[in-house]
Amino acid sequence: MSTEPTIFNQARPPIQGNRDNPLIAIRNLKVHFDLGGGGVFDKLIGNNPIRRVVKAVDGISIDIFPGETLGLVGESGCGKSTLGRAVLRLTEPTAGQVLYRNRDLAHLSGRELREERRHLQIIFQDPYASLNPRMTVGQIVGEPLETFRLAKGRKAEERVQELLETVGLSKRFIKRYPHEFSGGQRQRIGIARALAVDPDFIVADEPISALDVSIQAQIMNLLEKLQREKNLTYLFISHDLRAIRHVSDRVAVMYLGKLVEVADARTIYDEPLMPYTKALISAVPVPDPQVEATRQRIVLEGDVPSPINPPAGCRFHTRCPYAIETCREVVPRLVEIKPAHFAACIRISPEQPHIENVAPGAAPGLEAAQLTSAPKPAK
Amino acid sequence: MLLIRRCEPSNSLASKSKRNFMSQTNGQLLEVKGLRTYFETEDGTVKAVDGISFALRRGETLGIVGESGSGKSVTNLSIIRLIPNPPGKIVSGEVVFNGQDLLLLSAEQVRRIRGRRIAMIFQDPMTSLNPFMKISRQLMEMTQLHLGHTRAQAYEHAIKMLETVGIPDARGRIDSYPHEFSGGMRQRVMIAMALSCEPELLIADEPTTALDVTIQAQILELIKELKRETGTSVILITHDLGVVAGMTDHVIVMYAGKVFEQAPTEELFSHPGNPYTSGLLRSVPDPTDEQDQLYQIPGLPPDVAHLQPGCPFAPRCERAEEICQREFPPFVQLSADHFSLCHFAREIFGESGGAAR
Repeated sequence: MSTEPTIFNQARPPIQGNRDNPLIAIRNLKVHFDLGGGGVFDKLIGNNPIRRVVKAVDGISIDIFPGETLGLVGESGCGKSTLGRAVLRLTEPTAGQVLYRNRDLAHLSGRELREERRHLQIIFQDPYASLNPRMTVGQIVGEPLETFRLAKGRKAEERVQELLETVGLSKRFIKRYPHEFSGGQRQRIGIARALAVDPDFIVADEPISALDVSIQAQIMNLLEKLQREKNLTYLFISHDLRAIRHVSDRVAVMYLGKLVEVADARTIYDEPLMPYTKALISAVPVPDPQVEATRQRIVLEGDVPSPINPPAGCRFHTRCPYAIETCREVVPRLVEIKPAHFAACIRISPEQPHIENVAPGAAPGLEAAQLTSAPKPAK
Repeated sequence: MLLIRRCEPSNSLASKSKRNFMSQTNGQLLEVKGLRTYFETEDGTVKAVDGISFALRRGETLGIVGESGSGKSVTNLSIIRLIPNPPGKIVSGEVVFNGQDLLLLSAEQVRRIRGRRIAMIFQDPMTSLNPFMKISRQLMEMTQLHLGHTRAQAYEHAIKMLETVGIPDARGRIDSYPHEFSGGMRQRVMIAMALSCEPELLIADEPTTALDVTIQAQILELIKELKRETGTSVILITHDLGVVAGMTDHVIVMYAGKVFEQAPTEELFSHPGNPYTSGLLRSVPDPTDEQDQLYQIPGLPPDVAHLQPGCPFAPRCERAEEICQREFPPFVQLSADHFSLCHFAREIFGESGGAAR
């Protein structure tokens, strides 16, 4: 392998890793999908003339810091994948900003955006659907090099071989097609492709959900190894709370388009504050029969409501065991209840963080929720 | 709104003595002996299930754990004789249900047992329910066919079953179509359908894999509760060791079409006697425990069409020695109810703190 400096091993200015200088800053991001309705026809047939809008992501603000893994967890339909895609502008945001190194991705022109995309990559859930079956592994992994004019010919081939070895695949595979590989191997190909352009930031959208247990561990370890070696920053999206707990530094919990709790991974699991997070954590099966036999499980009744015209007020109030009348009206804000621990619930406050101890009917966090100033982003 | 249930400790004295009593009086409900199910493919014979044996006592829950391709679903389909032939074929073995070998029965006789005495729940409720038929008709079909209910009887029974599985306003919703129900609700309908003839055995193949965590918790609680009330025996097929830990009395671990380990659930988790089992247990992140690096089993599951001689797990096994490449391992008995397929089963069992008997 050549040792001359290439675009890949050139020293890039190190990213300042501190809490005041996020790599990605998401500000009041909204993604709404208009399903129509409320037109002339609806009025004619006497339908309620209300436009049906899916508020998949509805005003999310959060910072992602260099070198960290932010875990984004939630149930299906909560908008976590849409958020991940909107950050990279694979889905067009309806409103809000996504600041990457102080440039607003949400408002860049096509050409500018393409330049920035070199630093921002994504790994998809389904390794069967996300690789082109008619391209060889070499073409799949090498395509971004060509697109961004980073290398060609012999250099590109060397780079592809190097990438395959980085992700634990033999460089002999370069001429093979995706169908010749297992799910775990395909996911490695997807990771190699994402790494080809030497990105700063990777959105990993359910990267292990389609894989077997023993292969999940391999992919999680690979992602962690790459993060250490290449100083990568991840937004790791998953519904698997055990995986999220393992790979993440901080965890953000999402429910129906909104963040409901943000804290470091250990705190979220040991001491969740918001009722939805509590139920979610308690529902995770623990691989230990003795723990399973004695633990208390909060079983929520009912399903997640439809994200089309979701409930007013706190979106969790329809299933929340602690909901009071006010919860139907007031939209709770993400408030720093404890240092670096944010939760959105009007029934708790920094003074009274534990909802079990709050007097019946009391809403100590109501005032904070009604503040008119812009909310502080969760850090 | 909220149900906080303290799960009954499964190892409490009362439940244990009751279980022993049950097993002594009624014995085994199902016994699978030397079952082999092969598939003929262009690529050669795939030995999807290759000589497995296990037993299920009345009232118990047995977990079958394995990765994709390990043969756990083919085992289940073989028991209820739903293996498509060709290409599949049950080559040998016995499936003794209530003293009767199901493999010797005619298709017609099996049809009378399937759904009536052995019921199934599948992973994906959307593909298992007919989208063109009302829920009511799909539920009524079961009891009209098997129990000889009239339309009116079947309709009332169907409503009762939907209420049992916790569908609110069952009478009002029974004439809906499947797409009008959410994923969790559809799985409840599947369970209602499976239980409507009061089967003696319920086979649940990945019943919660397609569901969200909070819905999974609901469905698992429901299966537990119904089991307590009806005394149905359950075979739970899953890849999730957490689900196994909370739901089952016994576990069998499958790999490459073979039973690699079988043991009472608590013993399997505390004293595994097989390197594959202990590898699996260590590769699952434990949310109650901080780990820096996750243990990973290297390599990939084997291609069951082209198995090498020796132990099928040997290429991925950190304990493998020369003998493992050469000789197929023995099925070693480690304690009363605990078996492991490994040349070094006793050593591994001893290291994990198990006392060999």
